[in-house]
Formats: sequence, structure tokens, C-alpha cells
Amino acid sequence: MAQHEVEIVISPSGEVKVHIKGVKGKGCLEYAAWLTEIVGKLKDQKLTSEYYEPDTKARIDLRQELRNE
Amino acid sequence: MSTVLVLVPIVSGGWPLITAAVAGAASALGLVVKETAKQEIEDANQEQLQQVQVELAESEILAQSMVTGQEIVLVKGDIELRVRRDERGRCVVCAAGKGHSEAELKQMVDQFTQKLTQCFVYNRVATELKTKGFQVVDEEVMQDESIRINVRRYVE
Repeated sequence: MAQHEVEIVISPSGEVKVHIKGVKGKGCLEYAAWLTEIVGKLKDQKLTSEYYEPDTKARIDLRQELRNE
Repeated sequence: MSTVLVLVPIVSGGWPLITAAVAGAASALGLVVKETAKQEIEDANQEQLQQVQVELAESEILAQSMVTGQEIVLVKGDIELRVRRDERGRCVVCAAGKGHSEAELKQMVDQFTQKLTQCFVYNRVATELKTKGFQVVDEEVMQDESIRINVRRYVE
């Protein structure tokens, strides 16, 4: 299970700073659009390195065969 | 980290949502709700009072479920604040008080509109996060009166 975390700071004037963490790929843009719709208008947006990571999980199976010699 | 957003609030919603935010702001600033019914114009007294009116530019109060002319009247000492919807649907806050300068009343209105906006955004965000299945990890009011909410949810 992936953990999605959002930190929201509402300033005394009502301006909102949102930090979306743990959401890779376009998933974070969906969160961004959703939160923008709730609050009002987008003033600024910065994508961080995690955004560019693939949102599909890569799985590696390691198998070890034990032989009794 | 994924993304960081800065959002500008728009106070938009029905009268019940606005009144909830007004109540929150009033409580935070020590204002008391005087009455919510339609007010008669007190023209004799109004002429003697200093008045300041501010319209929230980024606001829209939906007319539905609202009686025409309805407003909320708040008081703190001898200052009276009125919150209502104007003809264009904007939220308007008007302050009046005897013996107070225009600058004092303007400061009061600005302080109130900021708190109203903060309360409105907080109520809206908290409700929407809950419906989306987020759980509050921690929440605090910071030294500068900003509200910080940290939420989390697990997805497949």
C-alpha cells in the first residue's frame, strides 16, 4: 500500500500552501487539481523530483536454489 | 516530495457555509453575534456613525437558501460589524461605531475578512479531505496564526 501525505498551511490571510508527498507521476497533478478546485485559484506550483519517478511498481523476484552436493 | 502548490482562496458557497465561517471568525476575534434577521435601517443613528465597508473581491455567495436582505450582525464593544451579500453576490463586511476613526474601523474590517477567509478555507478543506478518506495526523495553530494540517491516506 502506498502512503499519500498532504501538508496544508492556511495563512492568516487565507492563502494556502499545499505540499503533496509520496504521490508519484500524474497522481500528484490530480491531487493538485482537486485541491485547487476546493480552495480557489492556483498562484504557483513547483514539481519536485518525485513527480518524475514512474508510478508503476517494479517487482523483482529473487529465487535461490539450494543444492545439496 | 512530489509537488508544492500555493493557492489563492475564493470564498464561494451558500449562505450556511458563509455563516459557519462568520461564526468561527467572530469567535476567534471576540465578536458576539447580535442578530441574524433582516435589519431595519436605523437612519437617525447611522448618520452619526463612522462607517467603513469592504467587499471581498474573491467571493460569491449563492442566493439559494437565502432570504433577501439577510445579514449577520456582530458586535465588539461599541463597534458593529455587518456581513451580507450584495446585489452582485459578493460578500460585504461593513463596520460602524461611534468615536472610532475610519482607519480603526478599516483595520477591524480587514482583520475580520482575513479571519473569515481563513475559517472558510479551513472548513472547506477539512470537509473535503474527510470525504476523500484522509485522516488527520496532526493539526496546529502556528505562532503567526497560520493553521497547519497534516493528513494521510493509504491507497492500493
